[in-house]
Amino acid sequence: MTATSRPPALSMRGITKAFGPVKALADADLRVERGTIHGLVGQNGAGKSTIIKILAGLFRPDRGTIEIDGEPQTHLNPRQVEARGIHIIHQDRLLVPTFTVGESLFLGHEGGFGAFGLLNRRRMQRQAGEALRRYFSGIDLPIEALIADLTTAQQKIVQITRALLNRPSILVLDEPTAALNKGEVDTLFTTLRGLRDEGISVIFISHYMQEIENLCDRVTILRNGKDVGTVDPRTTPIGDIVAMMIARDIKEMFPGRKRKIGAPALEIRDLTVKGKFEDVSLSVRRGEIVGITGLIGSGAKEFLQTIYGLRRADGGQVLIGGKRVVIDTPAKAVAHGVALVPEDRRSHGVALDLSIRENVTLSSLSRYGSMGFIHAGRERSGVDALIGELDVKAAGREVLVRKLSGGNQQKVVLAKWLSRESSVYLLDEPTVGVDVGSKVEIYQLLSRLAEKGAGILVLSTDLIELMGICDHLVVLYRGRVVAALRTAETDTDDVLKWATGAQASTRPDMPAATMPAS
Amino acid sequence: MTMAPIGTNAGPVPSRARAAQALLARFGVLIGFAAVILFFAVSSPTFLTLGNITNMLVNNVALLAMVALGMTIVIASGGIDLSVGTAVDLASMVFIMLMAAGHGLMVGLLGAIAVAAVVGAVNAILITRLRISPFLATLGVLFIGQSVQQLSSDGGNPIYLFSSDMAHKFSFIGHGSLLGISIPLWIVAVSYIGVFIVLHYARFGRYVYALGAEPGVAWYSGLRIKRDTAAIYVLSAVLAGIAGIILSCTVRCYVPLSGNAFILDAIGAAFIGTTISLERRPTVIGTLVGVLLLGIVKNGLLLVGWNFYWQQVGTGVVILLVLATSFATRRHVGEA
Repeated sequence: MTATSRPPALSMRGITKAFGPVKALADADLRVERGTIHGLVGQNGAGKSTIIKILAGLFRPDRGTIEIDGEPQTHLNPRQVEARGIHIIHQDRLLVPTFTVGESLFLGHEGGFGAFGLLNRRRMQRQAGEALRRYFSGIDLPIEALIADLTTAQQKIVQITRALLNRPSILVLDEPTAALNKGEVDTLFTTLRGLRDEGISVIFISHYMQEIENLCDRVTILRNGKDVGTVDPRTTPIGDIVAMMIARDIKEMFPGRKRKIGAPALEIRDLTVKGKFEDVSLSVRRGEIVGITGLIGSGAKEFLQTIYGLRRADGGQVLIGGKRVVIDTPAKAVAHGVALVPEDRRSHGVALDLSIRENVTLSSLSRYGSMGFIHAGRERSGVDALIGELDVKAAGREVLVRKLSGGNQQKVVLAKWLSRESSVYLLDEPTVGVDVGSKVEIYQLLSRLAEKGAGILVLSTDLIELMGICDHLVVLYRGRVVAALRTAETDTDDVLKWATGAQASTRPDMPAATMPAS
Repeated sequence: MTMAPIGTNAGPVPSRARAAQALLARFGVLIGFAAVILFFAVSSPTFLTLGNITNMLVNNVALLAMVALGMTIVIASGGIDLSVGTAVDLASMVFIMLMAAGHGLMVGLLGAIAVAAVVGAVNAILITRLRISPFLATLGVLFIGQSVQQLSSDGGNPIYLFSSDMAHKFSFIGHGSLLGISIPLWIVAVSYIGVFIVLHYARFGRYVYALGAEPGVAWYSGLRIKRDTAAIYVLSAVLAGIAGIILSCTVRCYVPLSGNAFILDAIGAAFIGTTISLERRPTVIGTLVGVLLLGIVKNGLLLVGWNFYWQQVGTGVVILLVLATSFATRRHVGEA
């Protein structure tokens, strides 16, 4: 096949789109060759989603041309786009929770399953099973399971498989890995590489630079609505790509460390939840940021949940500020000054249909009034101060949190705990789905909190992040602490060896896919 | 404060048609409200007389208003209460029984409120301890309440208080007035002002709306959601119980299973109310508008000569129209 002689699978040129006075895209180009995996990166607001929505036929560009397979397109609508073989997996399109996996996979394509409009359920189940095994061979996903009972990762796999069943010529994935664990990501990448080799073009949007580096053949960087470069990520250093995205140096991402370490803020002694983790001890002092990491199944997540009272401990002690406490509900954790920034922001972090103000003060209302009542003026000024301090980008405190970007939603979660003046912060994957700009701000905020004397424990699987912000690092493997390291004296390769068990066991390498799924 | 570098996060700017739809969604109920009043004012000469308005407020609005007020709190918290009719009936039954047995008014009132609170407490236990969904839990309590009533009234016989000796102690609650305004309306007004303050100015109200928006966030934020949920259902039942007391004092008797008539109207009124709130939340003011709209339709249809059964149809049509307009326009606006 001579790819060069044929027109590109997709060519978008000079795309301009304004919403009122705001230019979302200004003369942006995107050219995707046939049979390649093409990354698309940029901060929130750079225009990634807008250009994808234009490709999807959801927005009409003000100017610019779109060619699919060399054919100019005018007035694209979503149906035409699908007919042309372009399938888009949006970041948060939902599946029907009461359907089974099999039903969801063929939703809208039931035509082939029986005469007289009746569905041949058994055949549907069987084909669904085959499809899942073909594309995600390593993943165990019961075909009769209800969507509502699946994890976010499993739901994502169902969505992707559903798109693949349509035999797309261009597959667009908008942050598909945000909810996936390492093993699932590996399987997805293998599938995508297989599709590329079949001649399908993949457009891959991600905030994770390592994924771009591992997967993509080309990557286009958008900044402020303009493409600022298309490079080969395998030969271009990640730092250069990030620098193009944010127009500054990657080293500036992480704040400097000039913190004064004080008395212990949080001490954990031999904490145990049977079947999850055993005898985990660690200590976080005031002014200190401690990282904790481990693969799925390492027990790190459950450990954090147990400290916050979301799980009942089978043994061990928790001390806050040197005093022994028993925390068996989040309410008690909050009462002891412990804050949790949960991983699942939309279900546990912020109430999307409440305003910024209502979210920020939810855990600390007693500070904004007396006798059970809320002093509206005090609440307003308190919230405004926090919005200013955290630089939450919104039109005002009454805006619904639903309208904010992931990064700004995360700032609202942090503002909620700042409002409570918490002394211990537990953070569970604090920068998942957060753009680079907000990441930097969150790192700086954590650093400021530590300087003010808070104790901070960060769970993350982003090792660059942990190395960048933490003083100490605790690695869990299969429910036990296998390493306690000073970040200044270690590197990501070393941490990864501990986390995968390669360091501890005699086996040379522990494939991530064999780790028990959560 | 700087504005966001809008791009990916901002939806398309709503067109003029969309803006009009949004306006219709919000003010549709109020426009419908005005249209309904105009229609009845033209078709019935007595509709806009002071006598009829008072009559309507006391007979078509007051009881529903109390039940719908509790329902508003429950729906704002993301739940539903199908057992409000049971609370009305059991409060009415206990009140009349205590009065018939010759007890004092205070005993009667406290007994009625207490039995209503028990209904709410049973709901609360089923929902918070046994983790049954509010719909099924309160449906169960509704059925249990019906059986309790039939067992305590020999299979459903009304209890009448013929003796005016007994009735004089309490009939002022149903028929008396203060400063020219009848007592039931005073009770409604005080309750509405009280719940308004609680829902919009007290911490408890904020917790109610947080539960309704995302219970997971409420739990992770350290709210005591079981305690708050329990309070919500007890409050709803007590407000319905007060309606039961007003009912008994007005008709001077207890008729089994008469409270069930309020369930759907109360839910309807609360949902009609959500359409006038900017955030589409159940609010006290919104519910008041919903209750008045339903009351006016019932009263007006009676005046133009429709019988009881056709009034039900009329109420149903109004609820459907309002909700259909609201949801249809909301879908368009929401998808932008």
